Amino acid sequence: MSTEGTAAPGTVATTASSETELERFEDLVPDAALRHAPGLLPGELKEHPDPLQYVIVAVVLVVITGIEIGTSYLEGSIPNGLLIGLLLVMAFVKFFLVASWFMHLRTDQPVFRRFFIIGSIAAVLLYAAVLLMLHVSF
Amino acid sequence: MTTVEERPDALPAAPEAAHADHATHTGSTNAKLAMWLFLSSDCLFFGAFISTFLLYRDRPGQTGPTPSDLFNIPFTSITSFILLMSSLTMVLALAAIQRGDMRRFRIWLIATALFGVTFIGGQIFEFTEFSRQGLNIDTSLFGSSFFVLTGLHGTHVVIGIIWLMSLWGLSMQEHMGQGDAERVEIAGLYWHFVDVVWIVIFTVVYLVPN
Repeated sequence: MSTEGTAAPGTVATTASSETELERFEDLVPDAALRHAPGLLPGELKEHPDPLQYVIVAVVLVVITGIEIGTSYLEGSIPNGLLIGLLLVMAFVKFFLVASWFMHLRTDQPVFRRFFIIGSIAAVLLYAAVLLMLHVSF
Repeated sequence: MTTVEERPDALPAAPEAAHADHATHTGSTNAKLAMWLFLSSDCLFFGAFISTFLLYRDRPGQTGPTPSDLFNIPFTSITSFILLMSSLTMVLALAAIQRGDMRRFRIWLIATALFGVTFIGGQIFEFTEFSRQGLNIDTSLFGSSFFVLTGLHGTHVVIGIIWLMSLWGLSMQEHMGQGDAERVEIAGLYWHFVDVVWIVIFTVVYLVPN
């Protein structure tokens, strides 16, 4: 084990040079990203929505679900391609509303949004490619 | 054995205070960051099983009932509505603990868990009904992919219910307070993710025509 000031060659843990490196790294990160304001949770940039806004989002979700179910009964009355397109668009809107409002992606650090978008898009692209390769269509 | 201190490429040790609340350089905590990374990977996990379902759903030469013989859209719509409402009660629980209103926090949390239990009850009923009509996990490729996909989702819901109930138990024993809001937020992220996955499953598996 090395101690400060008596570091053996090749050691890094608590040397003065490594502290300088850490400080230099911290300088690269914006201050706002290192602290969270009083009343905010870690990783939050803005306050969460109030309960009324949550209720409004939930009502919108229920309405879209109702329209989605109603649309599914149009099978045979409208082209299948259009029907599937409408259903997928409505599912995407619901997905987006839950992720942005209930999971707070619109008020949290952008890094979480990036993680989730990368995961979601990677899943869609990867499996769409696999299904196309296997000639699967709706 | 090589220790961290002996490795020339090791990262410098962070100050002691930085570890106190498990902070990261994103301004968030490790726990929240880890949950988001887990959810990101879980997108790929569920994507694999949804794709498998689409691949096997209407393969020719399958025996047993088909999706159109079995699916009861009004019933599944009600269970989907219940899961959507559980997301609302979950965010209301988080809002309550952030305000320090522990009584309402417990009410919304237990409501969320009860909605989850109702959803699972509906899924068990649906599985039993399908089995009664001749579709089991080994009946056909459609049966295997359907039960594995929806069963894995149901397992996620059960884990979420256990998590919520443990938070509720801690709160009843007064081991939780306003300062623990982030623990609730992380549990909430998991719960909402289970909801968004169901949004996709409900549309792709139940509503999209064959």
